[in-house]
Amino acid sequence: MSVFDPVEASHAAPSDGRSWLERIPVAYWVVGLALLIMPAIAGDFMLFQIFGWTFILGLIALGLMFLGGYGGMVSLAQMSIAGVGGYMVAIFGVSAIDTISLGWPWYVAIPIALVIAMLFGTLTGWLAVRTEGIYTIMITLAIAAAFFYFARQNYVMFNGFSGFNGVLPPMLFGVDWRDPAAFYYLTLFWAALGYLVVLYISRAPFGLALQGVRDNPRRMSALGYNVTAHRVAAYTFAALLAAIGGILLTWQSAQISPGTAGIGPAIDILVIAVIGGMRHPVGPFIGAFIYVILKTYAIDALVTLGLAGERFQLLIGVAFLAIVFWSPDGIIGLWDRLREDRKRDPLTGRGGEGP
Amino acid sequence: MNAVLDAGSTISERLGATGTANALELKGVSKYFGALAALSDVDITVRPSERRAVLGSNGAGKTTLFNCVAGDFPSTTGTIRFFGEDITQFPPHERIRRGLRRTYQISLLFTGLTVLDNIFLACVGVSRSRFSFLQPGRDDALMASAENLVRVVHLEDARDEQVATLSYGQQRQLEIAMALAGAPRFILFDEPAAGLSPTERSELIEILVGLPTHMGFIIIEHDMDVALRVAESVTMMHNGRIFKEGSPAEIEDDPEVQALYLGGDDG
Amino acid sequence: MTDFVRRHPIWAAVTAILAAILIWMIFALWPSWLVDLIGKKKVFLNALFNGITLGGLYFLVASGFTLIFGLMRNVNLAHGSLYLLGGYVGYEFAELTGYWLLAFPAAFIVVALFGILLQLGVFRRMEGQDLRQTLVTIGISIIMADLMLWGWGGDFYNISAPSWLSGPLETILVTSQKRSGDLVYLKYPLVRVVIFLAAVTIGVGMWLLLNRTKIGMLIRAGVDDRDMLSATGARIQLVFLGVFAFGAGLAGIAGVVGGTFQSVAPGEDIRFLLASLVVVIVGGMGSIPGAALGALLIGLAEQFGSVYMPTYAVVLTFLIMVGVLAFRPQGLMGRS
Ligand SMILES: Nc1ncnc2c1ncn2[C@@H]1O[C@H](COP(=O)(O)OP(=O)(O)OP(=O)(O)O)[C@@H](O)[C@H]1O
Ligand SMILES: [Mg+2]
Repeated sequence: MSVFDPVEASHAAPSDGRSWLERIPVAYWVVGLALLIMPAIAGDFMLFQIFGWTFILGLIALGLMFLGGYGGMVSLAQMSIAGVGGYMVAIFGVSAIDTISLGWPWYVAIPIALVIAMLFGTLTGWLAVRTEGIYTIMITLAIAAAFFYFARQNYVMFNGFSGFNGVLPPMLFGVDWRDPAAFYYLTLFWAALGYLVVLYISRAPFGLALQGVRDNPRRMSALGYNVTAHRVAAYTFAALLAAIGGILLTWQSAQISPGTAGIGPAIDILVIAVIGGMRHPVGPFIGAFIYVILKTYAIDALVTLGLAGERFQLLIGVAFLAIVFWSPDGIIGLWDRLREDRKRDPLTGRGGEGP
Repeated sequence: MNAVLDAGSTISERLGATGTANALELKGVSKYFGALAALSDVDITVRPSERRAVLGSNGAGKTTLFNCVAGDFPSTTGTIRFFGEDITQFPPHERIRRGLRRTYQISLLFTGLTVLDNIFLACVGVSRSRFSFLQPGRDDALMASAENLVRVVHLEDARDEQVATLSYGQQRQLEIAMALAGAPRFILFDEPAAGLSPTERSELIEILVGLPTHMGFIIIEHDMDVALRVAESVTMMHNGRIFKEGSPAEIEDDPEVQALYLGGDDG
Repeated sequence: MTDFVRRHPIWAAVTAILAAILIWMIFALWPSWLVDLIGKKKVFLNALFNGITLGGLYFLVASGFTLIFGLMRNVNLAHGSLYLLGGYVGYEFAELTGYWLLAFPAAFIVVALFGILLQLGVFRRMEGQDLRQTLVTIGISIIMADLMLWGWGGDFYNISAPSWLSGPLETILVTSQKRSGDLVYLKYPLVRVVIFLAAVTIGVGMWLLLNRTKIGMLIRAGVDDRDMLSATGARIQLVFLGVFAFGAGLAGIAGVVGGTFQSVAPGEDIRFLLASLVVVIVGGMGSIPGAALGALLIGLAEQFGSVYMPTYAVVLTFLIMVGVLAFRPQGLMGRS
């Protein structure tokens, strides 16, 4: 399927003599600079709600892009793993529910949360890879639902329906990290780091091998790779991304409840990754931005059009369907196609590159 | 060239450790696809440095034999020993990590990657860096051995080409390079010469003959001339069974073989 | 059977003992220590029968899902939406005509037609692209959920069974003994029994159709050998269409059943989609007997769970699923 056409030929070898600084494409400088000076331009709502949320959802969806784009495995459990991360900082760290929260310092609580979320992700992966391809989506959806119901019914650890509130980031360096500009930089930092790490790993042995496993598992095991272990490890790594996103998400709204990791949000992450495109790590962030914009402004737009604001789901559904139908590689697929068209030689109709 | 392949390998040490065990020892190996016996009750013994050709008409079960030995599918019955170790129940990657290698009759390559990356993947697969999150640096040993293998199979010019753009013959050469990654102790070549031009064929023979002498292999080959030039012993298969074994001369002169194979219009 | 006993004597013995205990628990008058231990017999029997009848409902939904999956390898995540649509259509029809029985053919036909539309408009255009098809079904279920919410609002609708079905059925099972010495017999809603029997009939019918008819042979051959499908060409397209329509129609019927047992409301689509997923994962993907076994297990787990360990009822269901995935990833009745 074309969502999973081989991600453009990767190079494991350092290809030329330029220093790494010189090899950074211009687009990165432009986007990077724009993102860095954003707090000077944008208002608090923009920074906190639009960009902060975009980076967080993008980070969670980035894990799905890694699994799906490089590993060929589409998991619906990313949001549940994010939820585990969020819940664990609330349980081990500080929250308003002090009967449950242990109140451990952040430098203990956060690592524990990440590790538990990664264990959960690994277990999910281990269960999901036991069957072939298309079942993955069913199994992970069922696991996501299980986590949702469990969190909702368990009062001893998860505080049931209402979950935890008052879960705040630590006052590190004397900064209130929920201050819009600070939160913006915090989420930007993790999103950018996640993006770069994924890009880097895609050309490291682990990432290359994962792509090999996606394209031809039989060949990979005939080269000495333990295909199952590689797939499970990919889940573990994707879980790390989701867990970071989940902790940030919890800090953003200062609370976590079963609804955060419900079935709707689980599917939204898939929608985000697919709309953005799973061929390149930038896709999830584009998808997240579109999703956040729609979610924030569509209600007003719909009301102006005389429709009820609740029709937002309809809008998202139609957008998703349109993308799956017409551009399986998402927005980045559309973008690539546009570029191809422009490069095309008007006489021969052939692409501008290669033979 | 031998030096290239020997570099960093521990073959001699490993050989010392396993003593005089045979490279491959199959006892009573059968493979059924439903009711079809693709292999029945096959016994084969190959010495560590032996070079064996397997002949047989289409559907004789040659590729199935390789699949059972390399673990692509499990055999239905029988035991398979590799340098004395019973590998019958091992998954493919465990067999590969013990020094077994194979090529595929129909190339199985990563067409979206470059030649070098394909070979690099093969080198990583039998190294300890399989899960490495670090990109290879300038002086990466695995990358260096991958580059050596590019030279061994004469693909220097295509080193950075995407595999999809390679000619058929080049893809066959790449297939061989991937089987030479790491420190192979024994290799299974599945019709490496099929579909090659006469020049490519002699290049291939040169590569095979030039392999380090301690490196044994089995080669499936329809072309008697190729088989006889690279192999010192021959196994004839027919209908999933071992039909004849012997030196090339014996096989060539055997009237039954002639009637069945050399005289036949297939093959 | 005898073969099983010979090969696994211990398991056979354990099964026999468990069955004997179960039969005893159903028919015997419970001694007081047992009542002290796990509560009234009436509660137990109700959980048992509710579990079995809920299993019947789950089977109706899941069998269509697994049939479609088995033949076309399409994970139709809009299956829950088909269920909900059937519920609403059935409700409207029953209200309109006043005949509960008419709700069934109406829901079947409308949802089956919708299924045909899906098959022609979506799946045939994306043949062989499993993942893309699945994604499309997610999109469709999002859209359908919102359209149905738009149309019917967030209210709960109950499809009421006719009076001749609504009474309780006097069973011969004793639940307890009054102080006066009179035996108290279990009363159970007749409609649930009737619907369960209907589900069993449909299940047996499907099994016979698949195993005893020519068209069934064609379908099974298609499931076993994907390559054969392309070889038989046009005829198989018709079979695809038929299977899809039938599977969708079953979901529609199930919607009416669900609306009678419980209610029709937003969110039920996801609930029954999940139930179908778990049932086929547990039972074995693509297998009708597997769907029956899985549905029974899940129905029982849910009911017993909600009676005896209310906080973790849903989790019990998923634990069963995880256990099956861990030890028998192809499902209880699935082939590896
Ligand atoms: N995966 C499979 N499923 C079913 N039958 C198979 C499978 N692989 C091989 N066979 C059958 O097993 C028999 C032996 O096949 P095999 O590929 O081993 O022959 P071969 O000697 O390699 O022939 P060739 O010279 O054509 O490569 C054939 O009849 C083939 O159809
Ligand atoms: Mg062959």
